[in-house]
Amino acid sequence: MSDLNDTILAAHARDDRRALVSLYTQAADQTNDINTVCFFLTYAYIYALELGHPDADALYARLDAHGRV
Amino acid sequence: MAKHLTATDLSSVQRSVEQANGLPNAHYIDPQVFSEEAEAVLKCTWAGLAVGADVPNNGDAKPISFLGMPLLLLRDKDGDLRVFENICRHRGMQLVSEAQNIEGAIRCPYHSWCYSTKGKLVSTPHVGGAGQNTHPSIVKDDLGLNEVRSHLWRDVIFINITGDAPEFTEVHRDLIARWSEFDSPMYHGGHDSKFELELMANYKLAVENYCESYHLPWVHPGLNSYSRLEDHYHIQEPNKYSGQGTLVYKQLQGPDDAVFPDFRGLDEKWNTGAEYVAIYPNVLLGAQRDHCFSIVLQPNTLNSTTEHIHLYYAEPKTSEDMRSRNAHLWKTVFEEDIFVVEGMQKGRHSPLFDGGRFSPAMDGPTHNFHAWVAGKVQEHRDKQDA
Repeated sequence: MSDLNDTILAAHARDDRRALVSLYTQAADQTNDINTVCFFLTYAYIYALELGHPDADALYARLDAHGRV
Repeated sequence: MAKHLTATDLSSVQRSVEQANGLPNAHYIDPQVFSEEAEAVLKCTWAGLAVGADVPNNGDAKPISFLGMPLLLLRDKDGDLRVFENICRHRGMQLVSEAQNIEGAIRCPYHSWCYSTKGKLVSTPHVGGAGQNTHPSIVKDDLGLNEVRSHLWRDVIFINITGDAPEFTEVHRDLIARWSEFDSPMYHGGHDSKFELELMANYKLAVENYCESYHLPWVHPGLNSYSRLEDHYHIQEPNKYSGQGTLVYKQLQGPDDAVFPDFRGLDEKWNTGAEYVAIYPNVLLGAQRDHCFSIVLQPNTLNSTTEHIHLYYAEPKTSEDMRSRNAHLWKTVFEEDIFVVEGMQKGRHSPLFDGGRFSPAMDGPTHNFHAWVAGKVQEHRDKQDA
């Protein structure tokens, strides 16, 4: 997670929002705590929404499944 | 208690042109009077903001400051033009700081609330706590972007800030009918057919100068060879619009006598006729057989204005060389007007100047504008007093 955290920070530093969609999705997939999962999924979804990214609908569905949208 | 501590005396402005004075100096140099006038003249009416060609593609967004108000011009995903207040409904943060294409949603750079290109609030991340993206008190349907009433005509986007003006098509029915022959498609000439000019002057002076042909032989001697003073006529509709027409419009000619293609279906009178109309308060339009133009006057402050000039043609593809020459020609003409507009602005600091007198023969269209402004300001004062 530390490596992923560094990668996320690097993506933020270069404002690479497309990368952030997948990186935050990965972060969500690496934990089982629902609150933490939804915390990361929220980031992934928001950047996907902004970009019109093809993953936006799937990310929305995952958040919706936990009653978070 | 008097509500108009800075109220100017406008009684002489609305006299007949033979007896009238122009607007008092304060309407050009006094911030308080300008503020009152802006409410009456620029916010309660249909003011020009931009042109559709500023946002040619779906999703294109352009932030524009209008009288200090942060606005966002947007072509939504379906191609419809919309104008919003450029602020998030959460903390009032400016949403878009530079022209860009919105690929998906508008994301506020502060807390990332997201809006669709139609202004709908679509996501409120963490609004109910970390990872909780809803809250019962935050109803998305109630918190879309504040939309400003707008209307598109001849590719100019007009806005009514107060939202209560009569319909644009009602206000400008006469002019729309007058130019109905020009309703055919018009195509922006592209990057070589737009330019901006900065004026250190109140926007009204640009309108006043545009309305009349009196100055043409003195300020635009180059036009005199083919567009002489005596070949012009006045256009003046009280309380509506004014300008000038010419009977000797001459087309630009390229190599081998090439000309721009004509707009379709025009009456023969347009073979040599052209009209130039100020649509109050701040849009200047020109209609000719083979091209037209719009000038949107952006009133930055009471004494600084940006002219946004755009040229349009009857066909999507025209000669690049001729377009470039045509833009250069118009730019030269409009640049020639700058010193008179700025000179009149300086003149407004003369305390003994009484607004000036009009030539009854030549200044009718300019007086028409003054009288309209005075009428709108008076109307506004009457509403305040009611």
